[in-house]
Amino acid sequence: MTRWGMVIDLEKCTGCQACTTACQMENSRLPNENWQDVLFYNEGTYPSGKLTWLPRPCMHCEKPSCMAVCPTGATYKTADGVVLVDWDRCIGCKYCMIACPYGVRFYAEEKQKSRPDIREVFPDPEGEKVWSPPWRMPDHLQNNKIGVGIQPKNVVSKCTFCYHRISKAPPGTKDLDPSDPTLREFTPACVVTCAPGARYFGDLDDPTSEVRRLIAEKRGTRLLDHTGNRPQVYYLAGEQPAIPETRTVRRSRDGEA
Amino acid sequence: MSLETDRRRFLELGAAGAAAVGTGLGTGPAVAPAAHAAPVTKVTKSVCHQCPARCGIDVYVTDGRVHAIYGTLDHPIANGKLCPKGHFGAYILYDPDRFRGPMRRTNPKKGRGEDPRFERISWNEALDIVAGRLDALRKKGEAHRFALLHGRGWGASDAGLLEPFGKLFGTPNATIGHSSICSDGSKKAKQALDGNYAYNAYDYENTNYLLIFGAAFLEAYRPFNHNMQVWGHIRTKAPKTRVTVVDVRVTTTGAAADHLLLVKPGTDGALALAIAHLLLSEGLWHRRFVGDFVDGRNRFVPGATVDPETFNERWTKGLVAWWNAEVKDRTPAWAAEITGVPEKRIRAIAREFGTTRPAMAIFERGPTTHTNGVYNGMAIHALNALVGAMYAEGGLMNQMSPPYAPLPWKVDDYMDDLAKAAAAKKMPRIDKVKTPDWPMASNMMQEIPVNHLEGDPYKLDTVMFYLTNPIFSAPDCTVWEKALAELFVIDTSPFPSETSWYADLVLPDHTYLERWQDTPTYPFQGWPMTGLRSPAVAPIHDTKAFGDTLIEIGKRIEGPMAEYYKNLGGVENVLRLIAKGFEKNPGDNGVDSFEKWVEKGVWYKKPYLWRQIDGEFYEWDGTDYIRPMTPTEVKARLFKTESGKFELKSSYLEHYADFIHEKLGIPEDRVGFPQWVPPRHQGVGDLFLVTPKTPIHGEGRTANLPHALSLYQPVAGGRNDTFLEMHPETARKRGIKNNDRVRITTPLGSIETRVRLYPAARPDVVVLPFGLGHWAHGRWARNTRTGNSSAIIPNVSDPISGLTANYSVLVTVEKA
Repeated sequence: MTRWGMVIDLEKCTGCQACTTACQMENSRLPNENWQDVLFYNEGTYPSGKLTWLPRPCMHCEKPSCMAVCPTGATYKTADGVVLVDWDRCIGCKYCMIACPYGVRFYAEEKQKSRPDIREVFPDPEGEKVWSPPWRMPDHLQNNKIGVGIQPKNVVSKCTFCYHRISKAPPGTKDLDPSDPTLREFTPACVVTCAPGARYFGDLDDPTSEVRRLIAEKRGTRLLDHTGNRPQVYYLAGEQPAIPETRTVRRSRDGEA
Repeated sequence: MSLETDRRRFLELGAAGAAAVGTGLGTGPAVAPAAHAAPVTKVTKSVCHQCPARCGIDVYVTDGRVHAIYGTLDHPIANGKLCPKGHFGAYILYDPDRFRGPMRRTNPKKGRGEDPRFERISWNEALDIVAGRLDALRKKGEAHRFALLHGRGWGASDAGLLEPFGKLFGTPNATIGHSSICSDGSKKAKQALDGNYAYNAYDYENTNYLLIFGAAFLEAYRPFNHNMQVWGHIRTKAPKTRVTVVDVRVTTTGAAADHLLLVKPGTDGALALAIAHLLLSEGLWHRRFVGDFVDGRNRFVPGATVDPETFNERWTKGLVAWWNAEVKDRTPAWAAEITGVPEKRIRAIAREFGTTRPAMAIFERGPTTHTNGVYNGMAIHALNALVGAMYAEGGLMNQMSPPYAPLPWKVDDYMDDLAKAAAAKKMPRIDKVKTPDWPMASNMMQEIPVNHLEGDPYKLDTVMFYLTNPIFSAPDCTVWEKALAELFVIDTSPFPSETSWYADLVLPDHTYLERWQDTPTYPFQGWPMTGLRSPAVAPIHDTKAFGDTLIEIGKRIEGPMAEYYKNLGGVENVLRLIAKGFEKNPGDNGVDSFEKWVEKGVWYKKPYLWRQIDGEFYEWDGTDYIRPMTPTEVKARLFKTESGKFELKSSYLEHYADFIHEKLGIPEDRVGFPQWVPPRHQGVGDLFLVTPKTPIHGEGRTANLPHALSLYQPVAGGRNDTFLEMHPETARKRGIKNNDRVRITTPLGSIETRVRLYPAARPDVVVLPFGLGHWAHGRWARNTRTGNSSAIIPNVSDPISGLTANYSVLVTVEKA
């Protein structure tokens, strides 16, 4: 069975935010609803200040703490390893937002920071969904059961690894390489657009996949691995020695692969 | 446009894509059946419009809605990728504040506080008003009092139409572009040294050292998308390309590079000269390209002059004279004083650069938007000669043009007596380029309002704007408000821009997803390429492509000019005609007709035809760079200077020696050399205000997008807000704390914004992104709570290039 995972090469990432804007476009997100965000960190002082950044999608954990706390079973894991929210079951209690160690869950009823509120400019005529902009995702792709499309009011939303795309990939696909015209349409939006090619997407259960090779060869590491969530998003941090953080992968199940 | 013809213009999605979107091959678990039947998604090939790079795009339309835009996979710039701005297209198309159709002002008073009270009129009515007005001017012999100012020109179907229009109508003012508030400085520096008034094409993939001066390679330098693709390659290839960034602020480019040198604004040229000094004194120059001492012994000793007779020069001209006049004294210690970069660092960087091949030095607005901009640029570009990068693999080239077929009608045949009389008068342009004021500049848009207000050289009557909004974006922009208040103003922006607020007529353009347009490439990799925008959807409002608007105006002018424009017909026809040039020159992707151009979205033909290999020049013979070129051919094709060499003593500048001496105080016998000229900073104060373009800034087109504004300045924490980046010590001295609202002041006035303490910043530099502080342009654009920096930037320009000295502004900052 396929277990989808993502590898992000931080040595290639330029911090441009195209992953963020592609995700917003593909998934009809509101401003600031950055399912795929890029975080910037500033340390140090002139003339030796250090600016770094970290692109952050949902980690689609093996053991998602968000799922464990969900009182209605709205958050679930698919057989191919993706963490989704069934919007028909979500009651908007936000426990999952607290439980997620990565801050990648969103609740759209928060006050819109962009003024005027774009939801009032493009309201849903039926009043059910959060908004309904003219550029919204085609109706036939929107699906509450997998948390894809524009969400109803009062639910939590999150990155789906573009489940409406990846779930249509031919069975047995090892890697979703967007430079392959036959696989491009199934590849997550952020991976398709990433100009420096910092993102890879493939089957973590296939030892011959490109994502597995990169994790092994370039010392893939996972964020906050001590929480036991076991993310399925791996980061390649460049030519660095084996500081403890980069070695955590060996303590997990994946280290044995 | 009927639905049928509209449909024919769409391209069907390829088989794989159709399967993906249409039939849903998926077997993924837990997928509930889609609630709706899957309609067909159509993909139109077009070209992005958010910056000049011309990335090919696939525009996805389902249920009549544009809902996604991705890079075109088989497009040489896009390669299936996009930058963050590329994904904004649908938001621009569906911007709720766009004009719905042509508008006429009913409020005769103009001002920020005066609502134009626009009323909708028909296109016929609007075009007749313009033509009537222009005809009257023409008959009075005052055709020159009509000016057409343009910003981002794309190709034959818009900017290319302007020159014939000016000629037929009889005005010298139809082709005034915005390049003098953009990047003319780098082009002029290159013209001075290698004879090409152009941006370079680059072979980044094959370089092993990139020395970047003030060009935000990973933020704004075009083609941004491809630069990032290059980055992914050069930073993981063997050997990894070494990158050094010279800038005045912390950028993602600098942070991602191996070295970031933060210099004092306007001093890049001093650093480049010190690098040149070290390359020569330590014998690190490219001997096969530059030449060598007759006996091979290096006589470039710091501080000592060299006998020119002892050096055999090859493809440069004036090296020894340059050393003697300038470089011999430009030691790293000297440059350390001026730039603030420690001597040891300068030496280390220079040695790295000089010992890694291929290497190249690139630069843009950082060094050139100063009064000494051309000389800064020349000092940097000279490094490309010293390391042999000109026309070399992993080096710099110039861009070739596409083989368009000429239009079958000669403009001269349609000039009537009025047009001929206007040409004979040789009226100066309203911006006074090619007059004793600006003898070398190609555009001086920023001078227009002042010249008009002073009636020198004359008063304009009617001014039309296409893709430019200088009333917001030019230095000292508020002076435009005075000028436009007394002019008949025609704006063609699709958006309710500041210009339109002062407009008498608005003839709104389509957005880029609704129009036909050709896009010959900006300098890229040298070989010719031209993309095509095809409408992805029928226009959603009653708008008209600017090119068609101009052609329709032309048809309504009395006399033979109307015949010319009736022949042209419209933009689509122009594109069909120029595409005939592809019949004899099919592109590498099989594009040999207009129809194929539409289908593929781009015509291109590799390779670049010329290459310098270890000091010898070769032309491509069909299989390889193997046919040796004569010096005459090199001069005709590549080094277009008087000598046919890379001139380290510029004959071009020497022709203007008296002017340069008068303006910059340089002795006339020295004007030809790349040299250190201290910048003259504008304003009064102790802090430099730097106003960069961020990766999200899509020029005026993205000003009103909340998605864009929410991501505008993330590096300093600017989410839904923008900040003045300021060093904490600088702030403390002024009693300013993080998030305080502050006032930034120059002699022109003040603007306000909030402060973000930024310890990595130079203590003498404050940074505020430009493009903010709109007082029109739509509901979100007006709501940024940050002032417009253009309002307080004095209008001072480099006398040589005419480029505005925007990055040389001294300000005071205090708590508001």
